[in-house]
Amino acid sequence: MSETKVISPTSRQEGHAELVMEVDDEGIVTKGRYLSITPVRGLEKIVTGKAPETAPVICQRICGVCPIPHTLASVEAMDDSLGIEPPKAGKQLRELTLMAHHVNSHAIHHFLVAPDIVPEDLMVTAINSVSEIRKNAQYVVDMVAGEGIHPSDVRIGGMASNISELARKRLYTRLRALQPKVDEHVELIAGLVLDADFPEGLGSHDQPTVASDGLYGNREFFDLDRFTEVMPESWYKDPEIGKKACSTIPLYDGVSVEVGPRARAVEYRGFKEKGVVAQHIARALEMKSALSRAIAILDDLNTSAPANVGNFDVRGTGKLGKGVIEGPRGMDVHMAQVGENGKTEFYSALVPTTWNIPTMGPATEGFHHEYGPHVIRAYDPCLSCATHVIVIDDDDRSILKEDMVRL
Amino acid sequence: MVLGTYKEALSARSTDKQIQKISQDGGIVTALLSFALDEKIIDGAVVAGPGEDMWKPVPKVAMTSDEILAAAGTKYTLSPNVWTLKEAVRQYGLEKVGTVAIPCQTMGIRKMQSYPFGVRFVADKIALIVGIYCMENFPFESLRTFISEKMGVSPELVEKMDIGKGKFWVHTADETLSIPLKETHGYEQNGCNVCLDYVAELADLSTGSVGSPDGWSTVLTRTDAGDSIFKQAVEAGLIETKPMADVKPGLGLLEKLAKEKKEKNQKTIDDRIAIGLPVPYKASTEKEDPLANY
Ligand SMILES: Cc1cc2nc3c(=O)[nH]c(=O)nc-3n(C[C@H](O)[C@H](O)[C@H](O)COP(=O)(O)OP(=O)(O)OC[C@H]3O[C@@H](n4cnc5c(N)ncnc54)[C@H](O)[C@@H]3O)c2cc1C
Ligand code: SF4
Repeated sequence: MSETKVISPTSRQEGHAELVMEVDDEGIVTKGRYLSITPVRGLEKIVTGKAPETAPVICQRICGVCPIPHTLASVEAMDDSLGIEPPKAGKQLRELTLMAHHVNSHAIHHFLVAPDIVPEDLMVTAINSVSEIRKNAQYVVDMVAGEGIHPSDVRIGGMASNISELARKRLYTRLRALQPKVDEHVELIAGLVLDADFPEGLGSHDQPTVASDGLYGNREFFDLDRFTEVMPESWYKDPEIGKKACSTIPLYDGVSVEVGPRARAVEYRGFKEKGVVAQHIARALEMKSALSRAIAILDDLNTSAPANVGNFDVRGTGKLGKGVIEGPRGMDVHMAQVGENGKTEFYSALVPTTWNIPTMGPATEGFHHEYGPHVIRAYDPCLSCATHVIVIDDDDRSILKEDMVRL
Repeated sequence: MVLGTYKEALSARSTDKQIQKISQDGGIVTALLSFALDEKIIDGAVVAGPGEDMWKPVPKVAMTSDEILAAAGTKYTLSPNVWTLKEAVRQYGLEKVGTVAIPCQTMGIRKMQSYPFGVRFVADKIALIVGIYCMENFPFESLRTFISEKMGVSPELVEKMDIGKGKFWVHTADETLSIPLKETHGYEQNGCNVCLDYVAELADLSTGSVGSPDGWSTVLTRTDAGDSIFKQAVEAGLIETKPMADVKPGLGLLEKLAKEKKEKNQKTIDDRIAIGLPVPYKASTEKEDPLANY
């Protein structure tokens, strides 16, 4: 006798999602489906018809957990559409912002999974460690990008301004001092994950990993021809779930993929492991890589160089610009097209967790359903993604219209 | 109290010859900000720095005494210093920011400290506000117009501007011109007509020319921070002082002008409220002390 277990909403993640698992007599998951139930906000529609500068300001509000990648992907999409190449210092400051954000965001995830992996007697230590790291990482984002949560100073053409030499030195000293702290934190988390008794192979799957870059992102990587998008109805096969699911299913080379820290480690750092434990370890290790990169940038940064191209022509060429950024949770793609009248004509965002959604459900299969939420949390999901709406007739509940309203 | 809460009133000037030469009055602002920087009481200051156009200041984050010195002298037009405080903390990385502010800017900063909306981790990094007295201020086009049209001199030739003895003065290399202040009326910012603060009542300490002889300033120390830094600068020999009782025209004139500004502008507030205009101040009938600054 098969039974269906539903967890709705799944907890300790951003946004609202549902995990639907069919289980056999032993409670083992035979079919897992994960779907977004986050309601529509229409941000892509809001920015259409407005000045290109509007998009980064609005689109960073997609999410308060990873506003940095969205801002960066948005300005990079605009840069590309307008044919702008930001100066070196501008690019470095953008990268520095993202590196600090990786460290911050991964630390937040450790807070979210703490109840799963941290024993009672180490809880205070672990949480203090998260707070200490976040405080320092956010200090960098505050100073470099103007604001820790929704940064005001990441702009089309670069950054609003360079930082002062004093700020560079302060940040450098502070991040060097943070290094041993982060090393210790990573060791703590990695040790706890290994001690957590997750069954061997939990969460492992054979879907490909996709990452545009080891840490920052690369627009050349993302090939629009290899990308397809299917509606939830045809993906989930179950009409009930298809109707309820709010996101489209993005595929790369026709299949669902995994993005995020493990994907980056596999693609660029020779990492081989799969599954829940591997995802946690890859994420923790990435904090070290990101911090080292941030320090290297601060070492090299010329604070008297311009950080922005200055004035630019907002009259677009109609080119479809791409901004491809590796967010903490994976590849974040924004696409924008600015018309000759200087207004955004088209805007679309393929956000990190959307890529993972079709992979996450099946990844719960083959293990007891009690482990389902652990598999989900290992992706650090953030559900503020493309939203699918249907219009239903109030009287007979028939579907009048199906539409994709993005974000 | 028409001068707000203060601990001590003194006549003072910088003992530094270079500051005396280029500053507006007693050079108190420049001397104090430089002293605070040297003593690491602040690690930088937002001042009204020189811009592209003569007499049109641009707020500047000064990180050295030279940069503070380069901003000395009064520019009778808007310098949105408050706007730059955030940049001072963020991109410049300052942790203890000093600034010079006219009364309305001082009110803005104090409000920002009470409600730090959009200024997370900024409001608590403001370590010193040197307030300067202000009767009114002029939009740049106003200033340019009455200097070039009414006084007949191009702003580029002007070396110093000043208000005193009921007149607006401009000094060029070879002449000194003046027009009665009455002639500048109507050129000031509209908001100045409802402003009740003459002496930066909310600053850490305030200074201006009125009350003291030429080349000297009248200083009102207000907060513990302001009082302590002023005393330290005097002790270090960077500032010399005289009791207000020993100088002419004395504190009486400052009180008189502060009172006149409050009375005149409270009346404008009352008139505007009477015809239903929005004014960010209370009508005199709603206040216990009609001259209070709210
Ligand atoms: C618009 C305006 C109106 C004034 N009205 C009066 C008055 O009615 N009575 C009176 O006694 N004093 C008035 N003052 C103050 C006076 O002119 C001197 O600025 C003050 O005495 C300080 O002189 P000081 O020699 O100590 O400063 P200095 O060492 O010369 O330094 C002056 C400082 O003020 C800053 N500053 C210059 N212009 C501005 C501006 N527009 N906004 C903000 N900061 C600025 C500079 O950056 C500099 O740091 C006024 C000042 C302004 C700006
Ligand atoms: S009169 Fe008041 S409002 Fe006008 S500039 Fe001076 S302080 Fe500001």
